[in-house]
Amino acid sequence: MTITPARAVAPLKAGRRRAARSRSLQPWYRNGSLMAGIVIVGGLVLVAVFAPLLTPYSPVTQNLEQSLQGPSASHWLGTDQFGRDVLTRVIWSTRVDLRIGFLAVLIPFVAGSILGGLAGYFGGWLDTVVMRLVDIFFAFPFYVMVIALVFVLGAGETSIYLAIATVSWVSYAKIVRGEVLVAKQQDYVTAARLGGFSHLKVLARHIGPNVLSQAIIYAMSDIVQDIMAVVTLGYLGLGVAPPTAEWGAMISNGQQFITTQWQQATIPGLAVVVTSLGLSWLGDGLSDLLSPDRRK
Amino acid sequence: MLHRMRFIPGRTLQAIPVAFGVTILVFLMSHLLPGNPAVAILGNHATPAAVAALSQHLGLDQPLWKQYWLFLVHLVHGDLGTSLTYQQSVVSLVWAAVPVTLSLVLYALVLSLVISVPLAGWAATRPGGVRDLGVRAYTLLGQGMPQFWVGIMLILLLAVRLPVFPVSGYGQTALDHLYYLFLPALTLAISMCPTIIRSLRASTIQVLGSEYVGTARSKGIAGAALFRVHVLRNAAIPTVSIVGVNLGYLVGGSLVIEHVFAIPGLGSLMINAIFSRDFPTIQGVSLFVALFVVVVGILTDVVYTLLDPRVDLSVAVAAR
Amino acid sequence: MKNKVRVSIAAAFAAIPLALAGCGAGVGGGGSGTGASSSSKPVYGGNLVIDRSNDAVSMNKTTTFDNSSIYVMEQIMEPLFTVSNDGKTVKPWLATGYTVSANKLTYTIKLRGGVKFSNGQPMTAADVKFSIDQDTATGSTGWGYINSAIKQVVAVNPATVQIDLKYPWAPIIADLSLFSNGIIPNNYAGESETAFYNHPIGTGPFEWDVWKKGQYIKLVKNPHYWQPGKPYLNSVEFDVVPDANTRQLQLEGDQADVDTFPDWSTFSTLKSTPGITATAFPSTEIDYLAFNEHVAPFNDAHVRQAISDAIDRKALVNAVLFGNGKPANSLFMPGLPYYDATGGETYNLAAAKEALAESSKPHGFTTTLLIASGNANEATVAQIVQSELKPLGITVNIQQQDPTTAHASLEADKYAMAYSIWTMDIPDPDEWTSFAVDPSGGAQSAFTFYDNPTVISLNKQAEQTIDTTKRAALYTQLQQLTSQDAFAAYLYYPPYAYATSDNVHGFFVTPLGNFHLEDVYKTS
Repeated sequence: MTITPARAVAPLKAGRRRAARSRSLQPWYRNGSLMAGIVIVGGLVLVAVFAPLLTPYSPVTQNLEQSLQGPSASHWLGTDQFGRDVLTRVIWSTRVDLRIGFLAVLIPFVAGSILGGLAGYFGGWLDTVVMRLVDIFFAFPFYVMVIALVFVLGAGETSIYLAIATVSWVSYAKIVRGEVLVAKQQDYVTAARLGGFSHLKVLARHIGPNVLSQAIIYAMSDIVQDIMAVVTLGYLGLGVAPPTAEWGAMISNGQQFITTQWQQATIPGLAVVVTSLGLSWLGDGLSDLLSPDRRK
Repeated sequence: MLHRMRFIPGRTLQAIPVAFGVTILVFLMSHLLPGNPAVAILGNHATPAAVAALSQHLGLDQPLWKQYWLFLVHLVHGDLGTSLTYQQSVVSLVWAAVPVTLSLVLYALVLSLVISVPLAGWAATRPGGVRDLGVRAYTLLGQGMPQFWVGIMLILLLAVRLPVFPVSGYGQTALDHLYYLFLPALTLAISMCPTIIRSLRASTIQVLGSEYVGTARSKGIAGAALFRVHVLRNAAIPTVSIVGVNLGYLVGGSLVIEHVFAIPGLGSLMINAIFSRDFPTIQGVSLFVALFVVVVGILTDVVYTLLDPRVDLSVAVAAR
Repeated sequence: MKNKVRVSIAAAFAAIPLALAGCGAGVGGGGSGTGASSSSKPVYGGNLVIDRSNDAVSMNKTTTFDNSSIYVMEQIMEPLFTVSNDGKTVKPWLATGYTVSANKLTYTIKLRGGVKFSNGQPMTAADVKFSIDQDTATGSTGWGYINSAIKQVVAVNPATVQIDLKYPWAPIIADLSLFSNGIIPNNYAGESETAFYNHPIGTGPFEWDVWKKGQYIKLVKNPHYWQPGKPYLNSVEFDVVPDANTRQLQLEGDQADVDTFPDWSTFSTLKSTPGITATAFPSTEIDYLAFNEHVAPFNDAHVRQAISDAIDRKALVNAVLFGNGKPANSLFMPGLPYYDATGGETYNLAAAKEALAESSKPHGFTTTLLIASGNANEATVAQIVQSELKPLGITVNIQQQDPTTAHASLEADKYAMAYSIWTMDIPDPDEWTSFAVDPSGGAQSAFTFYDNPTVISLNKQAEQTIDTTKRAALYTQLQQLTSQDAFAAYLYYPPYAYATSDNVHGFFVTPLGNFHLEDVYKTS
């Protein structure tokens, strides 16, 4: 397994750290990233929830006489080849992509953290087995694994969750294991064990909360990855089935008409970019809050 | 230096169980398919005679571990099954597609470095400055853009609106390949650069502030020479590790990009295999790619050691 | 997706007028094809690049059914007769003519002199006998059906072939024009069958060069070609370019000369683009949804009728074909003899709901529609159908498989509804009717397993009726009955869309879909 830099490079004298330190002294509402993230993600969630109120058209009803119209007053982004309003579909896609992105994080988070935590805490053969498993799963590039799994399980939402879970858990396992390795050598843990707490209690009550913050921070960027995966699968035709509006499927659809109605392929992509930005900022902000001295 | 290389055998030995694990996973794939693996593998072309023949070949009547052993034996003999679509051995198809994907990945890597190194250096020399903010804005943006969408936008801008590059395809001569692969490689590079720039920038800042560089400066070394000889070599070390780790992502990302640009590499092979229910090809490509990533992992550690004289991985390896 | 496995059953004298029209000397040249001026002088040289979305599957002319393979092999292996440019008759090609015995059981065919294979070997009757026999031998697994009426082929002398029939069979000359009866060297020129078809040898204008699977097939000029002065081109390249945008841009950028099936949405733009000629060639194509009667509830005629009535074909033609083509209202296509649309399918949602209410599933049901992957038109039609069946309570899940796999799924009875395409290969309805409505026609009624004894008997009668008025009446009845039974939901009749650059001359596509590249030349 490759060595991460932190372990192998001898510590060099730190450069300017003033910026980081001052960030941790700020109240959360002054943290630029965090606020930007909250605004954007919050906005997206609101859009998703209130989609029916925001859009006068249906995202799935076809209107074949009005197909492939350019942007106009009644259709700000024009219509697709089925006569459906593009803007409406972009908005309704928020529901699908956000939901799947958030839900898909849960299983890997839970499974990976537990496995990694146990591996780090108990060490020994359990650690070796789990880390070997991590290496094995890590060797399969994400899309190779996802495509193979979709082949086996068929396309659709369930396959997406399973595929993402199978591939993503390794990162959580690695992170949590690393944190636990450090944490279990701390005084408070020794004290707890001496005080008679069982391993389980120590893990759950004492170590857990402290190490999970790193996993949570990682989860934020993982949500971005998962949304990216859902959108890519939709683009390949292996994701959410039509006629449900989904950004990736919209981009795939719009690609045919790129010479005449380029906005059909472009705008959904921009929506993904904005979503990712928001989530990344949120993640950065959380990182500042939860572990201010760790931020690069 | 040779002395430090003594970790290689140990490192390789470590990789062996991983390689085996990879083969086990791939082997198990055919058993995840509903029903008789032979029927699932042959799909619509399954005549009773063919199913019987394949079942025999795979040893389906024997215990699972024996089937795995057969799988390994076939693998060693270069037999990964026959593609249902092309009626050719999977190995021959993979072999033909590998140079294409490798060219794309290497091209992307080169472009990434060409873009990242100057940008990271730029940003690192004046952290917090305008250039730095610009570069960091790019890294943030770069990570948020779906790769295939970037590809489509590049096609729109540089192939449709301004017909500078071809829209898709691979071309026929070596020079053609360079031309046709530029946009896809650039697409991959744009997604890869943020990670490299972040790491390189951070470690460059660290190195610039270090005593080591301070000493060099006091000796009168400055500017480009300082950067190249003293800064870059040290700053590159953690980045090499990151690149190695991300090479898997790069290969995976190239899968989708090959589809966008109609490049006949492993990615197109695999994605087409889904629609033709060509299971042997899916299995073959998965196996090949995973083993490739394992090998790259070893190579990364070797390069890492070559670069950083302080690293003695033999110690670290033993500690695992 | 093309269904091309056929069977020809005893048809009799009805096709004789067609066959007689085929008699005669002279080589048919290409019709007035594309090009800035048909009177411009042919230019020698050049490489013609033809873009298409799919790669070929195999060059084995006796077992392959997909067009991407067929259009390539037709440039290499030629038949004794070929279809005329208007798609209504056959004309001599490697044969110069024939005579029929009085009892109609023996055809004596004269072979053209001076014809050589690309390896320099002269073509003789032994080669012809071998070629036809090899096709017949494939029987039900390949195109052998088309020769089912042949008792034996005899090489009378090197320039004459005699075909003895089991029973009078008027379409025999038309059958010989099918690509599966293309002429190859005797005994595969000493190779095994598999090895031979890896680089097939024929008498055609081009010979085999190389096939980079998934990328392109290249053919080069056959120096021994029998038509004097042809071909003009040095080589032809069939490139695989799945994305329609890319094909268009390659055409506009001079990287390709012919764009096969450009997207209909850009067709009118292409027509007015300077330097490019976009042509919608009249076709004998019909696109339809096949219903698998082995899968409930498609065995219920009310269900099939309901689905058929719920599809707005005019809307499909507008939304998918952008106005090019016509709604399909019969099993036959306009341009096929005896086409009659009375009583054909129409769009009527109320009638659809009524029909469903009387059926076994009055509240609707869930089912799957199989389409070919990578085909934008099929995907669009599928989604439109999905949406149009929703008001009936029918939920359609769309399943994509690549064309070859999808075809195999149909053969293996593993589908519920499937998007299907048919184009004629000989200028006689019998080829299509036997394939589509007769379960013993070798394709299980176009894999629908449709079995209506009245319709089957009508078909058999029509095959043996000489009198054209009587035959027309029989085929009219057949078309009406099949529409009533709604064994398939006919969708539309699309033309063949091709876009070529203006410096390509002589490119012409017959209503059967094939083209003669020996007539094509490029100016700069």
